[in-house]
Amino acid sequence: MKRFTILGIETSCDETSVALLDVDFRTKVPKVRINKHVVSSQIDIHAKYGGVVPEVAARSHVPETVSLLTSQLKKKDPLSSFDAIAVSKGPGLATALRVGVQAAQTLAWTSGKPVVGVNHLEGHIASAWLVPENRKRWVFPSLALLVSGGHTELVLMKDFCRYTVVGSTRDDAAGEAFDKSAKLLGLGYPGGPKISKHAEDGNDEAYHFPRPMIHDPSLDMSFSGLKTAIRQEVGQGARGKEQGVSYRGKALKDVCASIEASIVDVLIAKTIRAAKKHPVKSILLVGGVSANKRLRSDLSTAVRKELPGVLLMKSPVGLATDNAAMVAAAGAWHLARGESHDWKKMDAEPELDL
Amino acid sequence: MSVNVWNISSVEGWSRIAKHIASKLRDGDVLAIEGPLGAGKTTFVQALAQELGASRTPKSPTFSMLRTYAVNQKSIKRLLHVDAYRIENEIDLLPLDLDEELHIPGTILAMEWPERVPKWLANRRICRLTIEMRKYGRKVSCLGS
Repeated sequence: MKRFTILGIETSCDETSVALLDVDFRTKVPKVRINKHVVSSQIDIHAKYGGVVPEVAARSHVPETVSLLTSQLKKKDPLSSFDAIAVSKGPGLATALRVGVQAAQTLAWTSGKPVVGVNHLEGHIASAWLVPENRKRWVFPSLALLVSGGHTELVLMKDFCRYTVVGSTRDDAAGEAFDKSAKLLGLGYPGGPKISKHAEDGNDEAYHFPRPMIHDPSLDMSFSGLKTAIRQEVGQGARGKEQGVSYRGKALKDVCASIEASIVDVLIAKTIRAAKKHPVKSILLVGGVSANKRLRSDLSTAVRKELPGVLLMKSPVGLATDNAAMVAAAGAWHLARGESHDWKKMDAEPELDL
Repeated sequence: MSVNVWNISSVEGWSRIAKHIASKLRDGDVLAIEGPLGAGKTTFVQALAQELGASRTPKSPTFSMLRTYAVNQKSIKRLLHVDAYRIENEIDLLPLDLDEELHIPGTILAMEWPERVPKWLANRRICRLTIEMRKYGRKVSCLGS
């Protein structure tokens, strides 16, 4: 397939999302247009159903997927809205993934159109490809730094759809490190973006937090020790209380800036190390945490300085968190290579690796 | 009912506790692991998984809420690693289908933040592991059935 409209479905964790993507691979630089795209998070959904019917609240992906599909596909002839289907089949929560997979299977069966089961993580990587400027310069081999609330991976790509994970966190994801740090500072959960906000005019050298494994030759990372370090720093060590930290004003800004620096420094050091070990022509910065301003700017500086000639391509901030447009984009890569799956054999794969 | 208490001061200490717990676990058991952020709950589950012969090392399940690991120790073949940290209303535990998952023979379940889901844990055969932070190291107690 060279020119088609692909329907993307994403239900792997908290978000339910549906997208229609028009893609045209006939030109040297593929043309891509996000025709329709909606994302609803569990928070919105819970508000919408108000927990009135417990089964609905607990399995809200089901009514939400149906409602989003109904609203995004053509009223008159819904199956004519797309030429192919892409769905996140894993990794994620089994019951959540199954909703999207079964929707995709049903649509594939009734329409007779091809379906692709996409790895949620390759979806994140494909989000960078949705930027026209990136598509023009797109070049392999590439190294993706994929950072989100649930994942922190360094992925080597020799070509579209060909992935090798060369490094990853051994415990907490980077986004989780941000969120739990915020919790320890009494900023609520999830509070990653709040840390970044307070960090903006803080002194990142005011406190020293560990940068675990930063000098370790492996490309793995570890962020779980940061929680203990913060707890010691904020002086609630042995008492083990979750709240009650009294950082305000300048001190809060400084502690946030120092935490952010410790996380970002590790991510950048490991990315640069990986790119030197596996020489690449481009770096991709993707996933929810890729929206972090400091990570975006520090990585740009580091790539310019340490990896001359290497391109840095970032996912757009609006498509950094879980969404169906990225799933459709990854599905389009597979279809362009002539790859699709048998809907009868497709299943949710909660522990799927890249 | 038995109580065991350990005072550990290094990472290796977790393996000692894991060895003891692993020897006590039976098919269908639930291990409730309590302790504040940064206490070492996930680190303990990593040690437990290793003790049970897992090929993959567990990572934090906070975001995904449930991760499954193939293990191999006598009758125990699957380790479910659950994190209730993001669960505000117990009803949100339902999509994890834990009862169904636990029914699969050879499954044991290790749960972080069990205090978030008291109703689900009530009247269940559980072993309760409590981790307290000390200035140097951790005090870990296990209250088992």
